[in-house]
Amino acid sequence: MATYARDDDDTIVIVGSGAGGGTLANELCQRGQKVVLLEAGAHFQPGDFVNDDWAAYEMLSWLDRRSASGTWRVARDHPDAPSWHCKAVGGTTVHWSGCTYRFTAAELAARSTYGDIAGASLIDWPLTLQELEPFYDRAERKMGVTRTNGLPALPANNNFKVMYWGAKRLGLKLISTGRHAINSIPYDGRPATIQDGFTISGDRHGARWSVLNVELPAALATGRLDLRANARATNIEHDEAGRATGVVYVDVDGARQFQAARVVVVAGNCVESPRLLLNSASGRFPDGLANGWGHVGRHYLRHIIQTVWSVFDKPVHMYRGELMGGLIADYARHDPARGFAGGYYIELNAMGLPTTAAFLDTGWWGRDFAQVMEQYANMAGIFMTGEDMPQPGNRVTLGTDLDSYGVPVANIHYDDHPNDLLIRNHGYKTLSAIHKAAGATRTVEAPAYPASHNLGSNRMSAKPEDGVVNRFGQAHEVPNLFIADGSQFATGGACNPTLTIVALAIRQAETIATMAGH
Amino acid sequence: MDLDIATGKVTAHKDPKLPAAPAVGEGADWAAGLAAIAPADAETLVAAIRTLYPHDALPERLYRRVVVHLDRLANGAAPVAEALRSFCAGLAQGWPIGFAERAETYRIQALKKLEGTTEFTFVQRAAVRYLYDDVELWAAFGYEGASVHLGGYVKRGFDDLDWLPPLPNDL
Repeated sequence: MATYARDDDDTIVIVGSGAGGGTLANELCQRGQKVVLLEAGAHFQPGDFVNDDWAAYEMLSWLDRRSASGTWRVARDHPDAPSWHCKAVGGTTVHWSGCTYRFTAAELAARSTYGDIAGASLIDWPLTLQELEPFYDRAERKMGVTRTNGLPALPANNNFKVMYWGAKRLGLKLISTGRHAINSIPYDGRPATIQDGFTISGDRHGARWSVLNVELPAALATGRLDLRANARATNIEHDEAGRATGVVYVDVDGARQFQAARVVVVAGNCVESPRLLLNSASGRFPDGLANGWGHVGRHYLRHIIQTVWSVFDKPVHMYRGELMGGLIADYARHDPARGFAGGYYIELNAMGLPTTAAFLDTGWWGRDFAQVMEQYANMAGIFMTGEDMPQPGNRVTLGTDLDSYGVPVANIHYDDHPNDLLIRNHGYKTLSAIHKAAGATRTVEAPAYPASHNLGSNRMSAKPEDGVVNRFGQAHEVPNLFIADGSQFATGGACNPTLTIVALAIRQAETIATMAGH
Repeated sequence: MDLDIATGKVTAHKDPKLPAAPAVGEGADWAAGLAAIAPADAETLVAAIRTLYPHDALPERLYRRVVVHLDRLANGAAPVAEALRSFCAGLAQGWPIGFAERAETYRIQALKKLEGTTEFTFVQRAAVRYLYDDVELWAAFGYEGASVHLGGYVKRGFDDLDWLPPLPNDL
């Protein structure tokens, strides 16, 4: 591993080692760049991971306190932890379930496609699908996505059989096991899945692509990566010309350090990234770095995500196998006849018994709940992810309480837009109908749990006045500052975001390497 | 307690890297060894958790184990210990007999009165966290748990559902 001096201002400093930051780090190292990667979490090895819902949650999660406000139910059920992501080397790729889908051309032109929607701050992406496609191709190849590049699909599991027959009986057509960065056959030195059902607990078996098991080993092999785990960034500094000069962080020993940089990249997920920019306010940038137009932290998105859990007369054992190996795309396209803008994908969902109990309906108790839980072996899960409307008031702000690093605790405010509620309503009815058609005797429409598809809070825009960064994730106001995580999304689309984050990181690496003149 | 529990339904496995569940006595004096929870409150908590999550077939020891976990959380954390005392005091109010001695109707009524308080939320969330993490409960309800050390489910039934028609080959 490389070790760069803290005053070496020829480095590119990346804050956050997840799908965006970690992929970017590797891509830059492959292009000969000197990269310092700061990660707040610990560096786990595959043997550290456990097959256990709660032990894994407590090992991997970003558990620092936050606060929540707004009409979203999460503010009531999970007020201290409204947004969920990992704190670990590899970021949330250490957890994710491997769903790898592409945006559609219509979704990338959301404002043009949906028109003017009251209360929504929709814009078009300053990017077309045609421009993104070559990077999607490269992302799919490096991640080993099923159904691409000749890789076979994941085999159908028990939970899929339930979804399939329910959907088929309702006349739905676009049903498959979906696309995943999980090996159905050995690929790129990684084994095929053994259907262990613990992909999201760190993936001890290693069949799934992650930054931890693919990108960082490749980056370290170049000898150009200086990976600093347990390094908590607190603010970014700049010079009189308004260029970023480096990052202040608290190291593993609790000492405050400054790492100089030629380029600074922020990739700490959608709460920490705006929090870092807002906490970097200065005389020149009084409202926070890159926040001259006031968009840092705004337009926060979390997707319309919810699950229906159903009980059947006979066993399902939904936890056996890859958890999200199913896709129905019939409702993915924008169809104004449905009465709302945007669409949603239906996917499988399965959880172990401990987290099923926790998220079935947080706060629910009594004989009815107990009776449902006793039938866990006969339960199936079905999930949706749909597009939510950007709203300027849905935002990450700094509160008044300070954390142990002296940084204000973040608040996340989210009000459901009427369009969001219409998608939720349509989705619940569809998910329940699918399970009932397969023979469900009881369906439970579970409320949304802490947001995991966090997007949009430092969005890209063609015009500087509409966002924070340009079409390359480069800050409108600070030319050597980039955003590499999902907070740069201009709008959310409907699908799981990781593939797009990785594709954007590959594209961004070309931009940064070229700009660096190497 | 063992990390693997077999029932007629399934064998449930706790990850072998994790510690076993805490030991708890079967006798009436099981709560005597608790560090931060008084024995009378421990009995109230067992009854409260059983009322919140009434699984009639589960033995008392599973509910006692939740209270042992609560005791660990309360030991050395005065606000947690105080919340548990306040929760138990709230359940005691208005009756000349203890919470555990009341009929289910009146236990539910007492819990509903406390719903919405921070101490109720704490006990309710902790009960879900620990009761449903108990490998003995997993075995009773048909959850097999940890699997990588057993080769996953690829040869142990990940696609064994046979009560729906077979899937077509062109998926």
